[in-house]
Amino acid sequence: MKKATVPAVAATFLVCAVFWLLITWSLDVQKLIAGAVICLIAALFSARFFVQGRPFGLLRPGCFFSALAYFLVIFPGELIKANWDVARRAFSPRLPVNPGIVRVPTALTNDCALNLLANSITLTPGTITMDIADDEEGKTWYYIHCIDADAESAPEEKGEAIKGTLEKWAGRIFR
Amino acid sequence: MTILRIIADVCIALGCFFALAGVVGLLRMPDAFCRMQSSTNITTLGILGAVIGCALHAIGMRNWAMLVKTLVIGLFFLATGPIAGHSICKGAYRAGVRPEREMVCDEYGRDEFDD
Repeated sequence: MKKATVPAVAATFLVCAVFWLLITWSLDVQKLIAGAVICLIAALFSARFFVQGRPFGLLRPGCFFSALAYFLVIFPGELIKANWDVARRAFSPRLPVNPGIVRVPTALTNDCALNLLANSITLTPGTITMDIADDEEGKTWYYIHCIDADAESAPEEKGEAIKGTLEKWAGRIFR
Repeated sequence: MTILRIIADVCIALGCFFALAGVVGLLRMPDAFCRMQSSTNITTLGILGAVIGCALHAIGMRNWAMLVKTLVIGLFFLATGPIAGHSICKGAYRAGVRPEREMVCDEYGRDEFDD
């Protein structure tokens, strides 16, 4: 199993501390000390799961602004489109669904980027990621349950329809 | 502050609309997987609408603690919602749940898995 390094623990501790400050929203000395102790314990135990790759890698300007653009502009746009589509299907009297599980390829290699894209796909209504698997040639595939599956077209075209621009941005955030 | 109040109320109403759409879908969809699809309606725009509306109200009341806490709640929903949805779907499939109506294509069942 991977060992936790000092920078990894420091990065985890910082994230925990920021959340502690935001949730408690007070600068009372007692709360600060309690928070520091709890965050340190949590960081020691979870750093090796939490930090994959470079600690503080997200703070590089290119990655940071990509993440900001992704979560504030790109992803909400996709979310609203997909939400509207599924709401329309739910209210429509004929209930137009043809569900199916499709397999789409991805070019991403970084585990964090793969995870971010999988969670984004699950979060958009109408598509749920069921599994991520490598095939014999080392290519990575997503298995995605779609409410409106397209059985005929090539895997690349299906991927284009589901992932849209999200994949490009996920790759930019975790470089 | 009337304009802020109106925007906040519109956000909450939109959240309610999408939560309603999610529940209607939950009741009408034909099988377990499609129901999960519809329920993500509630965890995304349903929750986010309510949370953003709440945050705007907090700005109107100059209550910064409330503003930050509502935004953190929204963040936690975005982080945990998809993982639950994913594991319910995968668990249902592995446990042998299949839709009554045939799926258009099932490439997950076609490929062999042994993990």
